Amino acid sequence: MEEIIAEDGIQVGCTADSWEEAIRIAAQPLRARDSIEPSYVQRMIDAVNTLGPYIVMMPGLAMAHAAPGSDVLVSDLSLAKFDRPVDFGSDKGPVEIVMCLACKDREAHIARLSRIAEKLMDDSFLGRMLACTTTTGLYELING
Amino acid sequence: MAVPRIQTVCGFGCGSSLMLRMNIEKIAREHNLQVEAFCGDVASCCANDCDAIFISKELGDRIKDRAKVPVIELDNFMDKAEVEKKTLDYLESVQ
Repeated sequence: MEEIIAEDGIQVGCTADSWEEAIRIAAQPLRARDSIEPSYVQRMIDAVNTLGPYIVMMPGLAMAHAAPGSDVLVSDLSLAKFDRPVDFGSDKGPVEIVMCLACKDREAHIARLSRIAEKLMDDSFLGRMLACTTTTGLYELING
Repeated sequence: MAVPRIQTVCGFGCGSSLMLRMNIEKIAREHNLQVEAFCGDVASCCANDCDAIFISKELGDRIKDRAKVPVIELDNFMDKAEVEKKTLDYLESVQ
């Protein structure tokens, strides 16, 4: 089965002084893997400025993304875990986990998102993610 | 009667709305209920044909005045209890 997030798409021990910086950090693996061009990172930040912090989907977790576009080369997903929670201004509070989703179209990433949605619906899953201290641990938890 | 068409909405119709769509479909399956769910984005969702719009609280205010169908707001797309209750309440209301 295709992995949901590649191990080099996962970072732990991150720190950010602002939510904008948190999105930039969480998106770095997508840049390193040539899945996105730099303008996509800015579009994810612009989306929060335009639409508000709705990307905080649940307490503890935000999923940054923007519309599909030519600056997305490969549909991809990355995840960063922050040592200090990052405040996006959401009623759900600051978050430790920031995911970045890049979609080339509206279909290609459905299978991977569906699998992570199923995991996140399990009440204990976020707590288990927060308890992970290594990229390998998170990789195994998410893709297991 | 016709299968209810639920539009799940997020900023661009391909991220959290997709996850909410999956969760609604899963809950409907578990309860043997029929539903047709599809994703939309906040800018264009009011123009799409559907029977109800499921959207986050944060984005709901942007469409409530324009929507021609019931708008059901959710606090947490990944909270199974909340998604289940609101999905079942809606589906029962249209039975």
